[in-house]
Amino acid sequence: MSATAADIHDSHEHSPAHTGIKRWLFTTNHKEIGTLYLVFSLIMLFVGGAMILVVRAELFQPGLQFVNPEFFNQMTTLHALIMVFGMIMPAFAGFANWMIPLMIGAPDMALPRLNNWSFWLLPVAALLLVSTLFMPGGAPASGWTLYPPLVLQTGDAFPFAIFAVHLLGISSIMAAINIIVTILNLRTPSMSLLEMPLFVWSWLITAYLLLAVMPVLAGGVTMLLMDQFFGTSFFDAAGGGDPVLFQHIFWFFGHPEVYIIILPAFGIISQVIPTFARKPLFGHDAMVYATASIAFLSFIVWAHHMFTVGMPLAGLMFFMLSTMLISIPTGVKIFNWTATMWQGSLTFETPMLFAIAFLFLFTIGGFSGLMMAMAPLDFQYHDTYFIVAHFHYVLVPGGLFGAIAGCYYWLPKWTGHMYDERLGKIHFWLTAIFVNITFFPQHFLGLAGMPRRIPDYAVQFTNFNAMSSIGAFGFGFSQLLFVYIIYKCVKGGEKATAEVWDNPEGLEWTVPSPAPLHTFEEPPVYVSRHQVIGRQ
Amino acid sequence: MTQDKQLRRKIRMNAILLGLVALGFFLAFIIVTALKN
Repeated sequence: MSATAADIHDSHEHSPAHTGIKRWLFTTNHKEIGTLYLVFSLIMLFVGGAMILVVRAELFQPGLQFVNPEFFNQMTTLHALIMVFGMIMPAFAGFANWMIPLMIGAPDMALPRLNNWSFWLLPVAALLLVSTLFMPGGAPASGWTLYPPLVLQTGDAFPFAIFAVHLLGISSIMAAINIIVTILNLRTPSMSLLEMPLFVWSWLITAYLLLAVMPVLAGGVTMLLMDQFFGTSFFDAAGGGDPVLFQHIFWFFGHPEVYIIILPAFGIISQVIPTFARKPLFGHDAMVYATASIAFLSFIVWAHHMFTVGMPLAGLMFFMLSTMLISIPTGVKIFNWTATMWQGSLTFETPMLFAIAFLFLFTIGGFSGLMMAMAPLDFQYHDTYFIVAHFHYVLVPGGLFGAIAGCYYWLPKWTGHMYDERLGKIHFWLTAIFVNITFFPQHFLGLAGMPRRIPDYAVQFTNFNAMSSIGAFGFGFSQLLFVYIIYKCVKGGEKATAEVWDNPEGLEWTVPSPAPLHTFEEPPVYVSRHQVIGRQ
Repeated sequence: MTQDKQLRRKIRMNAILLGLVALGFFLAFIIVTALKN
């Protein structure tokens, strides 16, 4: 049975139990595991990024230049799987590990050994996934949706890829269990549920989503495995099965997965904006209810990903309208963030710049989503570059910008040093400009009819593709500056105070910077969101 | 039973329960899909 925080805590010293590699292999400390998650996700950002640069290099001009179509499809598939499961989800798990115990006044995560296991499954799974490239037949080339019968044509790599997905799922489920149990049991007694910071609330809801849908993905890929190796016909029409059923199962997981990625980013933005607007978050409770509503609605909209498979009119209407409903709680959030800034004493440090860019660019992704929610219009956009533009606007300036904002926001708390603000701003402008050069032209490509997942295209698409490729390389190389800024901040720089920013809200700012290895061994007294003990 | 032990017990029970819920979803989806076919 897994040890609890109390067990581990009874025996700990105030310095790491091991040194060198063993310190990181055997650590049960939430801050060290958080760091591991964050470093891992940064590495995966470059692995997944390198793969998509192969794709964008190939698409720079029409014709086949660098890679054959099979390898091209393997690159798009692995890029997506790595970015979703290996980069952005671990990044937010890293934030959760670092910040949730600090924000709720807990000494550690409730199940520290499980926490260690959750992390260390990830590099194994990622290596397994990347290693499929070197197996006979190559990596899966079906896209991250793994639709049968296409995915069943994968060579020897098929069971390894499925096993990697299983491992990634197990890791996520264990992390989700840990987060729920920590928030519900180790919160300082003076903090009520509704008083919790928005980042903690977002993660609590995300963890329930993970718990509900990761097993569905695991079930789906297990059935694929059984169809391939054990003679079943879950998705094989010849044996009485139904390939469309897999699409239903996948998207029952896949749509909530989008919110698993974006809700923690919402949580970070809800922490950043009040700090730099120097005002409390507008409508804190409404934000909690909006987040819960988004999570609930995410379970009843999945078939909008598959309007074109042929479904009854009633089905089209239901999924069209339920999808549109999501814009209501999302709109509540956008308006509340804007209202928080209204008449605030705004300053524009790097985390705030990323948060504001998030607000604008995520909203573009939201609006194009609303366009696709309309079934008759979706018939036109389906499987075009418009879809690629839409979901990248949601996931990159949405999810990734949220993660980068959080990184700049809490980096001084983690390292004890201020990052280089001038370089941070340069990083922001490069990233914000290149992300738009990359993804905005893809809207036009899609509307003009360019299909997604093709290595070659008609010549009329050349200019926008060239623009998109230049943007992608610029975006990718700009992130090297991000790595340098983090490295420089870890190595030294201006000392950060405990508060770091100008009177920020939250318990995490009451501990010194850098946060010591062990914090809140006694539950702190929490007065209210705006009145933290020691700073009233 | 001390308060500390009670907390440990509660944490473990919560975690096991949530793990069983996840396992239940996993099995339920496979069984429902099998029955549908």
